[in-house]
Amino acid sequence: MELTMQFKENILSDHKGPKQTYFSPYADNGGSIVAIAGEDYAVIASDTRLSAGFSIYTREQSKLYKLSQKSVLGCAGCWCDILTFTRLLEARMKMYENEHHKQMSTPAIAQLVTTMLYYKRFFPYYISNVLAGIDEEGRGCVYSYDPIGHCEKVQYRTGGSSSALLQPLLDNQIGLKNIQDATPVSIVKDRAIAIIKDVFISAAERDIYTGDGIVMHVITKDGITEEKFPLRTD
Amino acid sequence: MALVEVCGVTPNFLDKSIYEEKCVAEQLLELDKKFFSYHTKISLPPFSDPVEKLKTIAVDEHGRGIKIHYDKGTTTLAFKYQGGVVVAVDSRATGGQYVGSQTVKKIIEINDNLLGTMAGGAADCVYWERVLSERCRIYELRNRERISVAAASKLLSNILYNYKGMGLYMGPGLYYVDSEGNRFPGDRFSVGSGSTYAYGVIDRDFDYSMTDEEAY
Amino acid sequence: MERTLQPITTGTSVLGVKFDGGVVIAADTLGSYGSLARFRQCQRLMKVNDNIILGAGGDYADYQFLTSVIERKVIDEECLGDGFNLKPKSLYSWLTRVLYNRRSRFDPLWSTYVVGGLQDDDVFLGYVDKLGTAFEAPTIATGYGAYIAQPLLRDHWEKNKGKQTVEEARNLILSCLRILFYRDARSLDKYQIATVTKDGVTIEGPLVLDTSWDIADVIRGYE
Repeated sequence: MELTMQFKENILSDHKGPKQTYFSPYADNGGSIVAIAGEDYAVIASDTRLSAGFSIYTREQSKLYKLSQKSVLGCAGCWCDILTFTRLLEARMKMYENEHHKQMSTPAIAQLVTTMLYYKRFFPYYISNVLAGIDEEGRGCVYSYDPIGHCEKVQYRTGGSSSALLQPLLDNQIGLKNIQDATPVSIVKDRAIAIIKDVFISAAERDIYTGDGIVMHVITKDGITEEKFPLRTD
Repeated sequence: MALVEVCGVTPNFLDKSIYEEKCVAEQLLELDKKFFSYHTKISLPPFSDPVEKLKTIAVDEHGRGIKIHYDKGTTTLAFKYQGGVVVAVDSRATGGQYVGSQTVKKIIEINDNLLGTMAGGAADCVYWERVLSERCRIYELRNRERISVAAASKLLSNILYNYKGMGLYMGPGLYYVDSEGNRFPGDRFSVGSGSTYAYGVIDRDFDYSMTDEEAY
Repeated sequence: MERTLQPITTGTSVLGVKFDGGVVIAADTLGSYGSLARFRQCQRLMKVNDNIILGAGGDYADYQFLTSVIERKVIDEECLGDGFNLKPKSLYSWLTRVLYNRRSRFDPLWSTYVVGGLQDDDVFLGYVDKLGTAFEAPTIATGYGAYIAQPLLRDHWEKNKGKQTVEEARNLILSCLRILFYRDARSLDKYQIATVTKDGVTIEGPLVLDTSWDIADVIRGYE
């Protein structure tokens, strides 16, 4: 009884003390995702820092999951939820494959992610997901999600701890938002890669939960290529 | 383990219940049974009042705020006039103070003659209106006639009633929209955080006998 | 039902580092009861089988519960006699599921685990905490060690470009344990140290750290 009282007191009081023993099932393990869709490709990248509070768990943790030859999922947020969610997702995709004798298309995966996230509506996965891939016509596509599975198909999107920092940057560089007389142009692959590198460097400067390195997956009809780049480690 | 199964032996010492934990495959089978065959049933949390409970665990042990911001919609409106019904929405989704997107599709096609709009929790609206569209299609196939708007809206409200009090956010007026407009409980609706402003404009300019152009 | 919503008897840091051909894990043997140094012989390292070692910090009762389950698992595997054994990645993965499922039921096992071992010919070192958060890394330090020992371990690792012998790794771990004993108020100078190589598992200890308090006399300002 006393313990219960103490617990209630703890959760109601200010949690910011250095050592509070109250249980939260969530943790914020940081990390950022950026994805850009082009005419015939999609690029998705994540940083490789896994952190908790002010300590860095590891500097070499990719947050990208290769789901098929045509799609890659990027996840940032609560790492234990990410591990669970991606495992279940991969298993479901395998079940689909066995049932239908083909790999899931990117739009199909996009819908599956929505329903799987919504299934946990009342005790959500704390993850921000960005799915990138090429669709059945070979066009690049990016889907972004909120934690309970609201999905939107977009041309470019950021997710994770630096998302609010990076999205306006992409709005400007790729979306050409609020630029007078701008004519919309499609972004070529090399430009997209260069932009992603630049925005991650900026994120690492301003966000302590993003850094150490970038992993980037470039998805084209020929498959997925993977690249790594260093970021600042402080 | 596989070898044991091939031999047809089920020794007692392999009683998995002592491990308590289910493997991924078992979890999936459970999911399948509960959800994917019957997807109006979603996972229930291990606590009674999700809205309040999630607030109390909104900080992790390192003192970092867990901000689970769901995308939310704002202003949608609909009214009927002599030529049919007009539905209009803005396209912004917010997560907390952050404008998550400026390009959200808030009008959801349930079928060719039925539209839903969303205001409130974006995922809630999209998910349940998708379920509704499936239900409507099944109704059509079973009964060989199009579902009435009242029936469709009743279906949706029945499903949602099961989750009453658990923090689903959906606009109250969004069900009553169709191509005929006959089943409208009201002539005009506006839902969401900008709705008061929208009502102001509608009430000033509204005229049932307006033309298509005016309606836009 | 009343659940563990706070740890009772706790162990402090666990340290782990890879070396060429194996892993070394170490932890002191103090079981703290709040701020009371209550149990001085709490052994927190476990030999799982011939290629896995496990170390734990956090609630000691939860660790004991889990060790009994792991022991049963290992015995089951042995009973089959099919020549296969539990591998470190399997144990690590299983731990993530157990701990995640418990956290999802709001009934956590309030402890942190470090799994070390040899997976075929690769060296494995992984971390799992009470939420089911898990990662692999060449150097791991839990609890207070995450702040004090981890920077030292990483520094050494980076300077040696990931190459070191058993002796170097052991010395590194010992110096970290010593510093932790100086600074971590929930630590003890008695410790255990475990190594896995292709020759098997050895757990040594409890041993006593050799520490020096000579300079304590000249420190001023805390009287």
